Amino acid sequence: MLHNLPPDPDCALSLRKLSKFYGEFLALDRISLDIAHGEKIVVLGPSGSGKSTFIRTLNRIEPHDSGVLMIDGEVIDDKTSLPLLRGAVGMVFQNYNLFPHLTVLENCILAPRLVRKAHRDATESLARAYLDQVGIGEQADKYPIQLSGGQQQRVAIARALCMAPDIILFDEPTAALDPEAIKGVIGIIDSLAERRITTICVTHEMGFARHIADRVVFMDKGVVLEASPPEQFFTAPQSARARQFLDQMIHHA
Amino acid sequence: MRLLTCLLLCLAALLSSASVRAQERPSFIENNTLSVCTNPTLPPMTFVNGADLSAIDGFDIALARELGALWHVPVTFKTMDFTGLFPSLAAGRCSLVISGVLKQAAREHLFDAVAYLDTSPVIVAPSQIAPVTSFEALAGQSLAVESGTSYAARIEEINRTLISRGKPPIALQQYPSEDQVVQQVLVGRSQNFLSQDVELFYRQAQLGGKLHVIFSPSLPGYSEFALYLRRSGQDKALLAAAIDTLKRQGKITALEKKWNVGKAARAALGVTSERPRFNTATFFSALFSMAFLKGAVMTLVIALASHAAAIVISIPIALKLNAPRSLWHPFLRAYVAVFRGAPTLLQLLFIWNALPQFFPIFREGWFSPFLATWICLSINESAYQVEINRAALSAIDPGQLAGGQALGMSPSQIYRHVIFPQALRVALPPTINEFISLLKTTSLASVISLQELLFITQVQVARSFEFTEYYAAALVYYLAMVFAFLHLQKRIETRFVWASRASAGGKTGPRIESPTDGTEASRHAA
Repeated sequence: MLHNLPPDPDCALSLRKLSKFYGEFLALDRISLDIAHGEKIVVLGPSGSGKSTFIRTLNRIEPHDSGVLMIDGEVIDDKTSLPLLRGAVGMVFQNYNLFPHLTVLENCILAPRLVRKAHRDATESLARAYLDQVGIGEQADKYPIQLSGGQQQRVAIARALCMAPDIILFDEPTAALDPEAIKGVIGIIDSLAERRITTICVTHEMGFARHIADRVVFMDKGVVLEASPPEQFFTAPQSARARQFLDQMIHHA
Repeated sequence: MRLLTCLLLCLAALLSSASVRAQERPSFIENNTLSVCTNPTLPPMTFVNGADLSAIDGFDIALARELGALWHVPVTFKTMDFTGLFPSLAAGRCSLVISGVLKQAAREHLFDAVAYLDTSPVIVAPSQIAPVTSFEALAGQSLAVESGTSYAARIEEINRTLISRGKPPIALQQYPSEDQVVQQVLVGRSQNFLSQDVELFYRQAQLGGKLHVIFSPSLPGYSEFALYLRRSGQDKALLAAAIDTLKRQGKITALEKKWNVGKAARAALGVTSERPRFNTATFFSALFSMAFLKGAVMTLVIALASHAAAIVISIPIALKLNAPRSLWHPFLRAYVAVFRGAPTLLQLLFIWNALPQFFPIFREGWFSPFLATWICLSINESAYQVEINRAALSAIDPGQLAGGQALGMSPSQIYRHVIFPQALRVALPPTINEFISLLKTTSLASVISLQELLFITQVQVARSFEFTEYYAAALVYYLAMVFAFLHLQKRIETRFVWASRASAGGKTGPRIESPTDGTEASRHAA
């Protein structure tokens, strides 16, 4: 078992017995996992299983209470510089959390300018390059409210990329998107993997999971029950809970 | 040579020994200045003579100057509401009250009084009413008096007698200033008013023969004007000696003649010509006068300064109150509750009149009406602004904080560049509404003699008796200021193009600056 091995510094993320409490409630229960550079992980599980909490511990928006979290070979704890950590681990929120009072371009360059003290011109040309990459270069001077949901998500991805992260966390990236837009997100995440950027997506969308995942992590009640390639997970899940979950999803879909 | 000087000095001392005693300075002369509290709305005793507000004049003012000359000290005048005179004297804000105040036993319990001029109370009614000979003839009628004076108590006393004789009492109406008392009879709301004769001598020309004296009762306690001072050692005797000296020198008689008070004037109560209902020339000259412009500027400055301070005070309080409960909470809640709960007028009077009794430092000259008003309105307004700020901060999606955190921004960076600019848009319309309300609230500061628009208006009315004209001019100024800010509010709202899809549509609309350049929003909030 991974539990008793030392964390692996060659992985993008290496977790050992990672736990998180909310008061008495155990939200994450001794999670151990190794994730390679450039790997695409999809986290599945019923509501309240701890998926969102899990990815929020990875950039310390929700600090873990015990266990080891190692990112790029560095152990993450109270002493870790948050600006550095969050530079390495970007995040795209379910409802994007774009800053409505700033244009698309300003959304992208605000954090690099403030956190990295980066030069304005350099940041701006970098941001325009990322906006072009995610296919919304021509929207740079609009405000978020003028964009569609799919466009807003691309802005959120470009904004995260501007901090040059090694890992990007996605919280329900497909929740508010139409099928066309979901295809677009899949394309973007694939292109991130090509650049060895590790992605971890929390989702409910089975088709999306099957399409992009290198590995599916299945969680229930704060415990990781399975971590296996999608073909194995969707055809022959190991745990009874995962079988039950998949049955329900198929019925409801 | 030395001997000669000594001899000369001795001779001079001998010759002037009498006046030396009169000129011996009382202890209330502090910092080599005679400072006098007066309410300049009682012509011809003390009033603003002309458009320049600093130019107060009248019998009392001239008398104070004579006293200063006698003691060889400069005289400074502090103008205030009548009700503020004695609290200010008690607070040590001035040496003397010289303001056409009657010599009365009730006041002499607390302060020393020195009489300087004879007077007589008068009951005044429209000219078609026949004179009467006793208060009984006024039973059941209405009578206006100035509040804060002791007329009211005296009339209550007379009423008890009337009731005991089975007659209806006199219906008492109280108004905060002399000119308003007179106005009540002019407009017919009150049948009679009670005042002092000197007032009427002066008003005759302005009243246009519409009113006349129907009764001059002899009321003990209403027959002499007096100077009031704090009780202290020889001061009363020294002041009385000084008044005697002025009388002997004929100075008081000269002043009586100049200001048309005293016996000669009493005989000459005459009738003068009719006046127009609305004097357009007066209205326009008031509207374009320096005095009104200065008053409006003062109103604007005190409102802006108070609101700016209120915003600065209210932001940390709002942040603390929106944060999880802490030790601060009960104190901050109490602060907001007290300053929202207490009437603003009461807070002003408290700061101006009560504070100096506890902390003598507030008696000093630097504690001006402006400073007192600024402190009071800043604190008062901050209590309201806290609620606006809290609502605005609560309206911001918590995801904005998470979004900033996930990008590695520090809490202060998130507040400065993400939360505050958005909260500002939410807070701005109610803030401008508050400001407009504050702009009008500043008129309350006239009671502590801040020379803002309403104070200027009242002073001009008291002098000229042209109510409608000066009120109309003040109204024009207030409305002009309020409309200007309402217009500004609209302009600012259209600047927030990012807030709605509709207005964000075209590229023609004004763009908000990048916060990295320091927007108005973040500068305001920081």
